[in-house]
Amino acid sequence: MKQDVLPRIRDLVEVLYREVPSGVGSKGKIRLGPEDEKKILLKGARWAVENGYGNASDLRHTESSGSIDGADPSLISSKAYERGRAQQGTLGSGNHFLEIQYIDEIYDEQAAGVLGLYEGQVTVMIHTGSRGFGHQVCTDFLEVMERAVKKYHITLYDRELACAPFQSPEARDYLGAMRAAANYAWANRQCIMHWTREAFMKELHASPGELGMDLIYDVAHNIAKVEEHTVDGQKRKLVVHRKGATRAFPPGHPELPDAYRELGQPVLIPGDMGRASYLLLGTQKAMDETFGSTCHGAGRVMSRHQAIRRAKGRAIWREMADKGIIVRSAGRETLAEEMSEAYKDISNVVEVVHKAGISKKVARLRPMGVVKG
Amino acid sequence: MMKQFETIDISGDAGIRAFGRDLPELFANAAAGMYSLVTDLSGVAETGRIDVSVHSETLEGLLVAWLNELIFRFDAYGFVGKKIAIGDLTDIGVSATLSGEEFDPAKHEQKLLVKAATYHRLSIHKKDDHWEAEVVFDI
Repeated sequence: MKQDVLPRIRDLVEVLYREVPSGVGSKGKIRLGPEDEKKILLKGARWAVENGYGNASDLRHTESSGSIDGADPSLISSKAYERGRAQQGTLGSGNHFLEIQYIDEIYDEQAAGVLGLYEGQVTVMIHTGSRGFGHQVCTDFLEVMERAVKKYHITLYDRELACAPFQSPEARDYLGAMRAAANYAWANRQCIMHWTREAFMKELHASPGELGMDLIYDVAHNIAKVEEHTVDGQKRKLVVHRKGATRAFPPGHPELPDAYRELGQPVLIPGDMGRASYLLLGTQKAMDETFGSTCHGAGRVMSRHQAIRRAKGRAIWREMADKGIIVRSAGRETLAEEMSEAYKDISNVVEVVHKAGISKKVARLRPMGVVKG
Repeated sequence: MMKQFETIDISGDAGIRAFGRDLPELFANAAAGMYSLVTDLSGVAETGRIDVSVHSETLEGLLVAWLNELIFRFDAYGFVGKKIAIGDLTDIGVSATLSGEEFDPAKHEQKLLVKAATYHRLSIHKKDDHWEAEVVFDI
């Protein structure tokens, strides 16, 4: 409960900042040999659990059980391996974060009951991905796709939208590499979640059972997947790439874990560090209208430089502390770049997707403690 | 003296506009601009050295490949370049020697984590008597 954590919040944020490496040039605590890294690419979060980071039950509440099939480590460049070696179990920088929150409003009591959520409950949200590893895979394959665009005579409107036909060897290789990056990301979040639990146990002197820190859901926020959708009345297999979008599958979807089959998929929508985040559920309408997708976050209204200019002479950490939110950040300018007014109000964004029916609100989460890179 | 580079405002990302009297100077200044997003270069010593050589099929591709190679050297091994000496530069290849040091979060300012140079809005062209390039980075 909020009142149990509140007196310890400063120490908790400090411990999490120390235990979860973050920020520019930070190195992870996990030392990986090339064989370990290959195992991560194949097994994802399952590798993490097998190596003592978390529980098997976490995997049941992770998209694709934290390990997507079809990853091919032989398609990964030595550069990506080198970049990924020291970054497993790191938060990163920019808009990546680890946040301690509490539930301040429930919109759907029944769904909240099934999810085990109640007002005043403390939650943690972790937003990070495949780190430099995934970026190197992207950089490597942009070159491959540049050539493919010429080979298959494709006209591009932006060179960053480089692509290849799904059946081509270039696309097949890309998907094998991208799936490896997705698995790297699931392992990364699993490790960070494990250290988060340890920090709570230590700071609150509580056992795992007393804390009851069960994973609600882990869902990728940037991934391409082969899925079945109905187009013009016909069932078809499509590649759905969600970037700046989140999967929001409806009740009954076979991809959902048993516990959420009747409910629909939990959707996590982070807002800025000063206002709120939301937990929603996927709907049939999302399946019918948006290929089972909803929004991904608030979106910026100010560029980073505008935000830094606007924050000049202000102590953002103190403004946040005055609102009861303890923040810790590696970068001096990160807090200015990430301040509330640099983002749209998440509540307005979530209201839009809720009213459009492509996901429905279950709970609002307010930040108490924030770790930024 | 000609400006080396300036940052450009892009919502959600970060970008630079680099200048140079010739292409080698343009490439060196673009690299300095990239590093300036990552840390404050005035705090970086010249105790280490790396050699870099990259190739591409076009001049635009070469600029992106050059910057991505330096981003890789930073992200995998922490190297930050302060002095950038371009050895050889043609339309399809560039080789250079960089002096700098390994990034240390305890000593160096942590600014943006630059993940990749992109083709988004990429431009490189001659303007009157000098060269100008614009690069947007994924962060």
